[in-house]
Parts: sequence; C-alpha cells; structure tokens
Amino acid sequence: MELVNTLVQGTLLGGLFALYALGLSLVFGVMRIVNIAHGDLIVLLAYVGLTVTEFFGVSIVVAAPAVLLLAAGAGWFLQRGLFEFVPRHDPLIPLLVAFGLSIILQNLMLLGFGADPQKLSIGRLEQASVEILPDLHVGVFSLLIFGAAVALIGGLQLMIYRTSFGRALRAVSDNEANAAMLGLDTRAVFRKAFVIVMVTVAIAAMLMSVRGNFDPASGPTRLLTAFEAIVIGGLGSMWGTLVGGVIIGIAQMVGAQIDASWQVLSGHLVFLILLILRPRGLFPKNDG
Amino acid sequence: MNKKTHNIAHLNRRGFLKAGAASAAAVGLYSPAFAAERTIKIGMVMPQTGPLAFFSEHVDFVLGQVQKATGGQLTIDGRQYPFEILLRDSQSNPNRASEVAAQLILDEGVDLMIAAATPETTVPVSDMCELNGVPCVTNDTPLEPYFQARGGDPDVGFEWTNHFFFSGTQSAGTNLNMFGQIASDKMVGALWPNDGDGNAFAQSYPPLFDSLGYGLSDPGRFDMPLSSYAAAVSQFKADGVDLIYGVIPPPEFTTFWNEAAQQKFQPKLVYAGKTVQFPAAIEPFGARAEGLITEVWWAPSYPYASTMTGQSSQELADEYEAASGRQWSMPLAYRHSLFEVIFDGLKRVQDLDDPASIQAAFNETDMVSVVGPINFQTGPLPNTCMTPTAGGQWVKGDKFPLNLVICDNEFAPEVPVQGEVQPLTY
Repeated sequence: MELVNTLVQGTLLGGLFALYALGLSLVFGVMRIVNIAHGDLIVLLAYVGLTVTEFFGVSIVVAAPAVLLLAAGAGWFLQRGLFEFVPRHDPLIPLLVAFGLSIILQNLMLLGFGADPQKLSIGRLEQASVEILPDLHVGVFSLLIFGAAVALIGGLQLMIYRTSFGRALRAVSDNEANAAMLGLDTRAVFRKAFVIVMVTVAIAAMLMSVRGNFDPASGPTRLLTAFEAIVIGGLGSMWGTLVGGVIIGIAQMVGAQIDASWQVLSGHLVFLILLILRPRGLFPKNDG
Repeated sequence: MNKKTHNIAHLNRRGFLKAGAASAAAVGLYSPAFAAERTIKIGMVMPQTGPLAFFSEHVDFVLGQVQKATGGQLTIDGRQYPFEILLRDSQSNPNRASEVAAQLILDEGVDLMIAAATPETTVPVSDMCELNGVPCVTNDTPLEPYFQARGGDPDVGFEWTNHFFFSGTQSAGTNLNMFGQIASDKMVGALWPNDGDGNAFAQSYPPLFDSLGYGLSDPGRFDMPLSSYAAAVSQFKADGVDLIYGVIPPPEFTTFWNEAAQQKFQPKLVYAGKTVQFPAAIEPFGARAEGLITEVWWAPSYPYASTMTGQSSQELADEYEAASGRQWSMPLAYRHSLFEVIFDGLKRVQDLDDPASIQAAFNETDMVSVVGPINFQTGPLPNTCMTPTAGGQWVKGDKFPLNLVICDNEFAPEVPVQGEVQPLTY
C-alpha cells in the first residue's frame, strides 16, 4: 500500500511539474527561445495573484479572472516590448536576454515584496482529501492540480491541431520565413502565442501559490523541474511533458522514501539517466 | 530597503554629526569645559525578512522601549555617552548575515554587536565577530546548535562572544515531559531538516529518546523548501507515529500540516520548533492549531522583571499588546533582554576604546533580566548561559484566538503550572 501511495503522490506532484513546464515548452516550440526567465514569470504572477487578492480582499478563486487578464496583457507586452526586438538568428542572444530578464525580475520582486515566503489560502479545501482506496488518501487540491494540467494540455493540443491559429502556429514553428512568404503575419502569431503562454503561466502560478510557498528566489527551481520535465518527455510533445513531470514526481517520492535528503536529488538523477539513455526524450516530436 | 539603519533619537550618522556640531557649538558659547563624548556604535543583525521574519516582529517595539528608557544616552563611569544602533537584515540567510556583520564591523566600525534568532543568524554573526575581535552578545538559538555549529571546544570556549538561551536538554526534556502527560504509543516522528537545528537535533536527540523509551521514525535530513512532505507522512503512518518532534519554520510546517490532514495522519501531540512558538504562525490553522505544544522560554507568568524599564513580565507583554494590537510572543522578552544585558555590561566597561575591556565587562555579567538570571560563567558550555524554560500547550483563547497554558515546569520551577496537556482532537 505504501508503494501505491508513493506512486499516486508522485504522479500528482508530477502534474504540478508539468504545469510549470507547459509555457516553457510552448515558447521553445514556437519561438525557439529558451526562456530562462520562465520560473521567475511564474513567481511574478503568483505575486500578482497575491497583490490582487490582498488589494480587493477577495479569495484567489474570485481574483483568478483578473490575474488571467493581467497575465495575458503582460504576455503581449513582453513579446511586443521585448522579445520582438531580440534577433533570433543566434539562439544564444534570446537566451541571454531571458537570463537578464530573470535576474531583473528576481531583484525587482525582492525589492517590492521582500524575502518573506508567501502563500495564498483557499481555506478548508487545502486540507480536504478523498479516500480512493482503503487507507489511500489523496488531497483534493492535488487532484485539482493534476486535472488542470491534463485539461490544459488537452486544450492546447486541440488548439494547436484543430484551429486555424494552431495551423499558423505550426507553420511559424516549422519555418518562419516560409510562413511569412505565404502571407502569415508572423509577428501577430508570436504575440498571440506569448499571450497564451502567459495565461498558462498564470494558471500554474495560482495553483502553485495555494499549494505551497513561494518567494522571490524560488523561480530558478521551478524552471529546473520544468526544463527536466520537457527534456524527459521530448521537446515539443505536450503529453510527453506530462509524462516527464510524472516521472520526476515519482522519482522524488521514491527517493524520499529511501531518505528525505534524497527527495530533490533523485529527481535530478533520474533526469540524468534518461538523458543518457534517451537523449531525444521519451516522445520526440518527429523521429529523424 | 535591506540596509535600513534604525536611528535611535533620530540619529543617523550625518544627522547626528550635524546635531552634535550644532549643540557643541551652542554649548561651547558658555561652557567650553563640557566635551561631548563619542558615540557608542552597536551593530545589530536580525532576520527581518525571509522565512524567519517571525523572529523579528518585536524589534521595532523594543528599539522604541530602549529609546524611551535611555533617551539614547548611557551613563558609564559618571559620563554620558550617546549610542547608535545600526540594524541590518540578514534576509534569513546565513551568508547574508555574515556579509552584513562584516560590513558593520569593517565599514561602520561598530564597538559591539548583537544578534538573535536561530543558528542561521547567531552563528555567522558570532563567527564574524570572533574573527575580527569585536565583542558580541547573542540569544534565541538553543545552546547546543549554537555551540556545535560554531565548532566550539567545550574546554576553551570563545574569546569574543557570549550567548544566552535554553539548552536542547531543557527543551527536549520539557517537551518529552509533556508527551508523557498523555497516553500514547510513544512513537515519535522526526522532522529534522538539513540545517543548524535539524543536524544538532539528529545528533543529540536519538539517544535521549531511546533512554526514555520512545521509538523514533526519522525520514532523514531534507533540504528546505520541500515541495511535498507526502513521503514523510506516509512513513509516519506506516511506523505508527503518534507524536511529532520537528524543527521547521512556519511555511514548511504549513506544507507538512496540510499534507498530514490530506492523508488523514492524526498524531496525538505535535511539536515543531521555529513555528509553534509563534501564535501568528499557527493561527491561520484555526482549530487545527489548538493543542500544539511548545517549550516556553518566556511568558507573562515568568516571575522576572526588566532592569531597563522596571516592568514585570506581565507588564512587558501588556505594553506590547496595547502598542501593537498583537499578541505577545516569546521573542519579545529576548529582544528586550539583549539590551538589558549589553547596557548592564557597558556600565562596567573601563576603557570604551579597548574592545577587550568591553568583552571583559560582558564576561562578568551576573544579573537577573526579564527572561531570568544571566551569567556567562555558569552555563553548561563556556560563554553561554542557560535560561529557565517551561513547557506549554496552545488552547482556545478569549482575547486572542490562542492562549498558552504552562503544563510543565521541571526546568523552570519558579514558573507556575497552569494545566495539563490534552491530546489533539480531530
């Protein structure tokens, strides 16, 4: 039963990791930008959530639409005001810009919010659990996070493969110059893509801020798990990202069963092993 | 914002020089013999932000008390000396604590240093002072973690630093006494992270638990922040743990306590050092905070009074509650007593310009502060003093949501027992 419990808790934790990773995966897939600031953007939006809830004195559930709107605006602004001016012929340049953005964001947050860890509360739901098997209790909120990850991935998959905007996204992602030649407004596609990315980041941020604590310095660890989930799953594969997150989550839980000091380390170890065995990830987008 | 200087009597350096020059000039007109004494600079390092910020809640209030009681002046050997307190934030980070302590010593040239709250603050600051030959007094870190983390030699001690607080023996003793007051399976679950306190606990407690007939389930040293405590919780459930003995700060305890509830892990008593001492940290749990137990380093029922303001413990707590609208908590008296001890010591200093003379005065401390008797010669370890420590349990309060009831006084017999420990209810 302990083994089943470990697997279930690890899987649910993996849902959270996959949520962290979705936005990063999209930015890389469409824009070929390795967004080092991704973790800090998650934390920033968590602070936005905190500020909105405190300012209006409402629960994050009520504040969520406002946070999503703000995030969408921020996404448009980031692309229009920053990344649009960054030359992308050399992948190193946007990477360095994102790196700079990460440092700026961390320090601005430290300045604005202080080093105190913060957490949003939604009351009793945080402690609520259901007994799915005899003596196997699962947190309702953890289930909610996992459900959100699955729903979000499903939605993004539908959007990418079933809508005209998705077709444009794929075209731009495959070959930007050709897409432009065929009359696609690639700049508009990029802006919309970044808006969608930031909306997923906002969802991850709000769920994260209820589940645990965050502080201005917690972005890089979020980025690291997100990155590992993507690489394990295979670049460009959304469902692969979920599998990658789940693998890291289970690895952490199994490691913690051996000794608590192994929890974080074992996630990284499994990542390294898989990187050696399957350098292209478990579900590479196209073999060849 | 991290370099905020707290100015006693509105004295920052520049302001003081200006005011000093003006008053010196004014005085000089008619009484040239009255020379102004130099300012005593006191460096102070506290975790004002970060996970340990709860420890700093009372700093501003106590600095206000200091100002009111002294007027920013100390009388040493019949002469009036102005003093200035330079407060720096460690951001709950030991590296940062070390850095700001070095700045205070090297850039500001402080005459003495004070620091408080957890090994993450007191150890790096004390080490920096030892290295630079600056007298330093600290409190609010159990004696053993303080001494071990500094690599102290029990035969030698330290040259420049003194420290007073409870000893782990008292704290564990009183907590285990309280565990013993209820019927349990005597199975203890450990939450000891990979930090100063956690490592010290893991080193010294297992034999103690064993000798008292308690079983121990220890998941190991973990790095914080931890994304999930589910593994520890399921191990505790598998091992039949019904008592929790931890030392984790409030944000971590929140994660643990929520996951414990989710997985229906229901221990009979819970102790979590660094968290359960603070009503503000556990109030958000509502009814689930009632019944948590804690060692008590100070409470309004302590029979001691302040040498600085003359207040009894009860009066000190009352003044704080009236001034802040917040409930008293234990660090209040320790912030207060830190100033009692250094002011008591400074009065004995022979030569203020000789750090060794200041240190000698601190070493000779023998006084009764609001937290109890302080004497650095008698401590269980050199350069330390053990202060009286009781045990208590949080129950539903009337004025504030939670009220602390003293349940054990083996290590502080002068503090009256108010009730018996009750197991947690679910």
